[in-house]
Amino acid sequence: MSMDFSPLEQMTVVMARDLADGELGAAGAAALVPMAAIALAREMHAPNLTVGGEMFFNPVAGHLYPSMLDDRALGRCEASETFIELFGHSHHGLDFFFHSGLQHDRYGNINLHHVGGTLHAPKMRGPGAANLSYGHTSTRFYICPTVHNVRNFVEKVDFVTIPGNLSGPESRAAAGLTRQGPRLVVTPRAVLDFDPKTLRMRLKSVHCGNSIEDVLANTGFKPDVPEETGPTPPPTAEELSVLRGKIDPSGALRS
Amino acid sequence: MERATKTIGLKEAATLASDALQKRPEICLGGLFKQSRPVALVRALLATGANGLHVYSSPGAGYDIDLMIAAGAIDEVFVPGVTLENRLCPNFRKAVESQQVKAHALDALTIVGGLMASAHGVPFQPIGALKGSDVLKHNPLITPFDCPLTGQPLHAVAPIRPAVTLLHAQEADRWGNIRHLSTMVYADQLMARASDMVIVSVDRIVEDDVVLDDPRRVTIPAHYVDAVVEVPYGAHPTASFPNYAMDEAHIDAYADLGDAARRGDGAGLADYLEQHVTSAPEQVAYLRNIGGHARLGPLIAEARAS
Repeated sequence: MSMDFSPLEQMTVVMARDLADGELGAAGAAALVPMAAIALAREMHAPNLTVGGEMFFNPVAGHLYPSMLDDRALGRCEASETFIELFGHSHHGLDFFFHSGLQHDRYGNINLHHVGGTLHAPKMRGPGAANLSYGHTSTRFYICPTVHNVRNFVEKVDFVTIPGNLSGPESRAAAGLTRQGPRLVVTPRAVLDFDPKTLRMRLKSVHCGNSIEDVLANTGFKPDVPEETGPTPPPTAEELSVLRGKIDPSGALRS
Repeated sequence: MERATKTIGLKEAATLASDALQKRPEICLGGLFKQSRPVALVRALLATGANGLHVYSSPGAGYDIDLMIAAGAIDEVFVPGVTLENRLCPNFRKAVESQQVKAHALDALTIVGGLMASAHGVPFQPIGALKGSDVLKHNPLITPFDCPLTGQPLHAVAPIRPAVTLLHAQEADRWGNIRHLSTMVYADQLMARASDMVIVSVDRIVEDDVVLDDPRRVTIPAHYVDAVVEVPYGAHPTASFPNYAMDEAHIDAYADLGDAARRGDGAGLADYLEQHVTSAPEQVAYLRNIGGHARLGPLIAEARAS
C-alpha cells in the first residue's frame, strides 16, 4: 500500500479526532504534533475548543515549531497569563494534555529523569519536566512520542516522572489518582490504549506501512493484542488538505 | 538632594551580584527556556569567577544553566526542566552523570510555590499536586502535612528566597521601572518580589515620560529593583521579543561543542568559554564576536515577523 502521508501526520489526525468541541487543553513540552492535533480539531469539528493552561490562550500560530512555549510560536494570542494561573490550572486540571518521555512502560508511566543508575548517580540524565500536575489533575492525557522502539517502550521505567497507571488499579487508588490518566498512546507506528480492568497497554490499531509483528518487535514489552486490533484509519483527503494548507504549510510534520 | 538613579554598568552589576552570592549562593534566573534569559548578566557574573552556586529559575531553562555548569560555577540545580528542547543540555548531563553537580527532582509548582511563599511573607505555600510521581519521593523542598481544615493530605513548600535574581526585559527607565514588551512574562514579576537583590538587564533605557504615560505597562515597579543595566541584545543567544528572536544556530553550535567535550574533546568548548565568558568582553565586542549585524539582522527580522 502506498503511503501518501507521514507518520507524524497520522499521529496528528488520530489525536485531533479524539478532542471534543468545547474542551480546554494545552500541548505540553514537545509540542509539534500535539499543537497540530489541536489546530486540526479546531478547524474540523471543535471550533469552540480553547487552548489554555500554558500561559497563551488561543494562540494563532503562523506555523508549527518543535518548541511552542515562546512568543515566536504563540505570542500572537487572545490573552497571556503568568505564574498565578499555574496554580489555578494545575489544581483544577484541564480536559486534555500531552506527554512524552525518554521511557514509557506497559502501564503508561513516563520517565524524563534518568535511564540507568539512580537520580543522583545516573547513567544517563534526562531533562526532567516542568509541569507534572496535568498528568493527574487533567481529565485525560495522551502519550505521543515521535519515536517507537525497544529503548523508549520498556517493561518498567527507571523513574516515574509522570504517573500513568503505576502498577494497576490498586496502586492508582493508593496514590490518590482519580482521573482517567493516559487515554491513548499514539506513536509513529501504532495506537495503543489501556485495558479497563488491568490498566495495561494493549494494541488498538497499526498505522499504514506497519504490521502487528513490526510494532511488537519495536516494543520492549509484550502488549496485549486483542482480536479486534486492525489498521489505523488513515487521514482523509479533507484532513490532509486542512493540515497542509492551513496548519503546517512549511511541512514540519513531513520532514 | 536628588533621587538616585539605578542604572549601572555590566561589570558593576556582576560585582554586586558576585559579592552577594559569596554570602549566600542562591541565584535565580528569569525568562523561560530560550526567551528573555539574562545571558549577558550571567556571562559577566561567570567572568568574576563565581562558583558554588545553587541555581533556581522559572521551571524551564537550558542554555544559560548549561553555560554556568560548563564554567564550573554551579554545585546544585533547582530547576525542574533543563533542556535545549530539540536536544539535551550536554554539560548539564555530563556534570550530573559524573556527580559533579547535583540536579534535584522538582516540578513547576514547587518552584513557583516556594517563590510565592517568599514574596507573600508566609512560612509555606500549600500544594496539592504531584501525586504518584517519584518526584514526590526525592523533592528536597517539600514536607507532607494534613490540611487543618479538611484533613486532606497536602505538601508544604518552604520559601525560596534568592540572594540575587537576574532578569532580562525590553525596557526600563533610569529609576528601575521595568517594562516587558513581550507577550510572555511568566514568573519574572514573582521572582522580583521574592528576592533579596534584583538586577535587570534591558535592551534599552527609555525616557521617564514613556513610563509615566502608560503606568499599567510597567511589569515590575522600581521598588523591587536594585539595579538596571542597559545591554543591547543582552538576552542573546536567547530571544527578547519583540526586539529579536532566539539564535537557534548559535545555541546549536554551542551544544555541538558541549557534546564534543562530553565525549572527551573539550578544546572547542574551552575556546568558546574563553572568547565569550572568561575574557569578559564588553557587549559591543561580544556582539562582534558572535557575528555582528549579519547574525543579528535575521533575528530582528524574525521577531518582527512573528
